[in-house]
Amino acid sequence: MAQFTLPDRAKTKEMRYQMGFALADLADEFPRIVALDADLRSSTGLHIFEHFHPGKLIKSGIAEQNLVSMAAGLSQEGYVPFPCTFDAFSRRMLDQLYVTVAYSNLNVKFIGAYVGLFTGKAGATHQSDKELSVLLRVPRLTVLEPSCNAEMRQIMRAVVETPGPVYLRIVRCEVADDLIGSDYRFEIGKGVTVTDEGSDVGLVTTGFMLHTALAAADKLKSLGIGVRVDHHPSLKPFDRELLYDLTGKVEAVVTLENHCTSGGLHSLVAEALVAKGVGKRVGAIGTDPEDFIHTGHVNDLLWRYRMSSDDVVTMAQGLLDRVAR
Amino acid sequence: MTRLPPLPASIEVASGAFDPLDVARLWIPWRADTRTRIDSLPFHTDHAELLHNTETLAYLIRSYTTWQMTCAGLGHPGGSFSEAEFLAILFNYVLRFDAAAPDWPMRDVFYLSKGHACPAVYTVLAVFGYFEVERLKFYGMWGSGLESHPDATETPGIEVSGGSLGQIPGVAVGRSLGMRFNGPDHGDRMIYVLMGDGECNEGSVWEAFMAAGHYKLDNIVFVIDYNKVFAKGFLAQDMSLEPLADKLRAFNLEVYETRNGHDVAELIELFNVLGAQRRGKPAAVILNTVKGKKVDQAQYNPNWHTSAPRDAAAAGLWIDELWEHDGKRLGIPPEFPEALKAITEIVPPLHAASDTITDRQQ
Repeated sequence: MAQFTLPDRAKTKEMRYQMGFALADLADEFPRIVALDADLRSSTGLHIFEHFHPGKLIKSGIAEQNLVSMAAGLSQEGYVPFPCTFDAFSRRMLDQLYVTVAYSNLNVKFIGAYVGLFTGKAGATHQSDKELSVLLRVPRLTVLEPSCNAEMRQIMRAVVETPGPVYLRIVRCEVADDLIGSDYRFEIGKGVTVTDEGSDVGLVTTGFMLHTALAAADKLKSLGIGVRVDHHPSLKPFDRELLYDLTGKVEAVVTLENHCTSGGLHSLVAEALVAKGVGKRVGAIGTDPEDFIHTGHVNDLLWRYRMSSDDVVTMAQGLLDRVAR
Repeated sequence: MTRLPPLPASIEVASGAFDPLDVARLWIPWRADTRTRIDSLPFHTDHAELLHNTETLAYLIRSYTTWQMTCAGLGHPGGSFSEAEFLAILFNYVLRFDAAAPDWPMRDVFYLSKGHACPAVYTVLAVFGYFEVERLKFYGMWGSGLESHPDATETPGIEVSGGSLGQIPGVAVGRSLGMRFNGPDHGDRMIYVLMGDGECNEGSVWEAFMAAGHYKLDNIVFVIDYNKVFAKGFLAQDMSLEPLADKLRAFNLEVYETRNGHDVAELIELFNVLGAQRRGKPAAVILNTVKGKKVDQAQYNPNWHTSAPRDAAAAGLWIDELWEHDGKRLGIPPEFPEALKAITEIVPPLHAASDTITDRQQ
């Protein structure tokens, strides 16, 4: 067996590694959990799961279609399979996810690792920023994107305890242990207001970008602009009620996502507001739907796509018709 | 667990007339208990009865499937007819299942990977009691529970939804691994995957073969319905599989090849051999068949891959031909094809058109 170094659980902040530990913990409690790997286990964090549960990590080889099909078959014998590979490679097995898993309503929990920009110098083939446009249109599929490790652990547990197909988006990079607070209880289909300090602009965020939203909120507050930050870990089902509550109070909205600005969170918000005739201005922070992500340091990518907290501040100011730049 | 909706309508048969949907008058399953498999070897006294019984079942599969597809204005006769004898022997003799309890956890698993050939599978499920034979008339109708391509959440007896090709062989791999993890009490359970030959063009099929061979999943039988014909052409011309047996062996499968996949005696012999051949490898059966078998017009003809007979008169010719071919010598009364023709009609849509739309489908 290949040998891998295990990260120090107490020290590592990388979500991928904490996911591996969390899944291993859950498998102690739920013995029907298995995981499936398409030859990326020490990158996705599944090598940690395998360390604690040797024999429960099944290898498909580099075969993403078969990865999902095999998971489907395991679920039919009562197992709770977690197939996991890079989120970008979900493009290689979307039909298996649509027809075999979702149409049959099978209990498969797919983990898309290496989501979006925070993925090292990987480039267009390995950095995923378009996938939600299809994943959010797969009937029956629940799509979740945690912001921090504490929330990721709650989500993993909810995913095991809730039957049905799930897609979970996990970043590779270091994240905060807890951005939301110890009182927070994750629920599928629910968003959460993380800070509420005034009603000028609302920041609507998902996944890693909660980190950016909170940094932007601090800067906006120091400029005298009131900000509320709503985080939506549950993209499907999506919490429209929380959104309508926000838009009933703020002047403008900025959406933040570790994904392109079409087909993901921004589109969910736009559809919801149009459906109710809410005429609020909505800015979009995210990557460019017409671009392939080029290779570069994450700082340079954030600069290219205008996704830093400073860019959020600029956009919010512009929307509020205040002085830009 | 699936729950079918009520039948959309009843089927009227004049009082005193021959009821073609009263299957028990024509045929009853060879096994009293489909949870058990009983070997029948050529010197057993019941062997001739198994042959006759299974041939009769294959005849009924083709006849009811013709009726079903014509009423629906939908279906795939070519692949449904090439698989008829295989389905008949599988359900009549090989597969351990319980139509009254489709989720019985110790069942063998039958996967239909070539989902388009579901009309014949719906027929075999109906005659074994998963649902009413009457329901076949409403195949493809809104709310009938019988989708154009199978929906496992709706139709009992369907293990996984399908229709997009090449996905289910991999599901069988995962299923077999799950059975292995379940422990030795599940060691005797088998998985039969019915695949199309054209389906084997899909790369994902070979991903599944590679994994099945790697994990030595010797309770899987991949059955390739080798009818040589695509939806729009011929394999030999458009995209050949040959040398198929060599390819399968190279993927660590144990290969069995039928001389004639429509010869029930040969299929009984094949499954008697397969039942005693757990060699630490998955099995692959190359089922040599004829697409559209037993209707001259449809045989070896890609034009009948997707087309149902266009009306009751056209279906009547097929029903007559099937009776002349098989029904007559198997002792099926001539009243049966006549009565089946009498209840063949294209099922209309539920709603009148608010706009004029020209579509041959009803």
